[in-house]
Amino acid sequence: MAPDPDAALMLAFQGGDEKAFRALFEKHGRATMAFCQRFVKDSARAEELAQDVFLKLHQSADRYRPSARFTTFLYRIATNHCLNEVRRGEYQARPELDPASEDGAPLDPDALAGPAATPEEEARGNALSRDVGAMLARLPESQRAAFVLARFEGLPYEEIAVVLGTTVPSVKSLVHRATVSAARALEPWSGKGTPS
Amino acid sequence: MSRRESHIADELTALLDGALDGARRAEVEAHLAGCAGCRAERDRLARALSALAALPPPAAPRPGFEQRFYARLAREAPRRRSLLERLGAHPLRWLVPATGLAAALAAGIWVRQDRQRADLEMASHLDLLENYVAVASLDVVETPEDLDVVTHLDELRGARR
Repeated sequence: MAPDPDAALMLAFQGGDEKAFRALFEKHGRATMAFCQRFVKDSARAEELAQDVFLKLHQSADRYRPSARFTTFLYRIATNHCLNEVRRGEYQARPELDPASEDGAPLDPDALAGPAATPEEEARGNALSRDVGAMLARLPESQRAAFVLARFEGLPYEEIAVVLGTTVPSVKSLVHRATVSAARALEPWSGKGTPS
Repeated sequence: MSRRESHIADELTALLDGALDGARRAEVEAHLAGCAGCRAERDRLARALSALAALPPPAAPRPGFEQRFYARLAREAPRRRSLLERLGAHPLRWLVPATGLAAALAAGIWVRQDRQRADLEMASHLDLLENYVAVASLDVVETPEDLDVVTHLDELRGARR
């Protein structure tokens, strides 16, 4: 396995270096929040979940062993936490909020990528996000987790298997079944990029 | 679609993901060359993946993302440790597993009475219920923050190992 700089930071934190933990949060905190947003609808809650994940990491650092990549360890904690949240179900009934207007605060400009979208592009993106969110919410939880890890996080099947504590053939099946469901749900988006 | 074709269909997502080894990939591609149905299915899945690629990125956090977390960390980490230490030092700490077991038994009776409604709900909250009953019996739940610690009690136990 190639040297993992995040593992080195985690080991430094195990040794009492709190700055190393902060470096990990600064590197992975926003990505963790983005991951959590695949499981809950509003960004404020996704931020709380990401904070929860790092609080768990802070408390369970002693259990980390560098035999696993740090991000694998992080994905495992985050996946379990998000699935627990989905099981509770209390956020499924929440209305979807406009992330830019939840409390009137602007989004972080450092995190915005690419040129601003036109109103039409933005509306289309929001509609696609809603359809994908609804599709994800209908998936069985193991399919949902495998699909999010494969499609949005770009993890190879082998790593997803480690994160989910299962086998590669099982991951292959989970990702395939979820992709078939996605193909059915996103049929209107196929082709021109807009539903007919 | 035949059983063999159905088996190939199960491999199409892995093919698109580049997750098949060389020999299996060659088999699947050979099948596709002669099977219009599987080619159509592959193309349908590929269109779905293209549609997903057009998905806008998740909303970015509000400014102050790191600072909010560090403030919460400073607030909660010492409290969680403190409660754990109080639990560990409590003379009735041996009640924790016993009370947890009683809660689990009570939960089991309740689940049997209305299994269909309760299964998922109860299963997901069983650990929380056990933790709450156990800790409340020791009279150490004093604030809302303590309740939050209770929800993470299993992790704290793990962290102490």
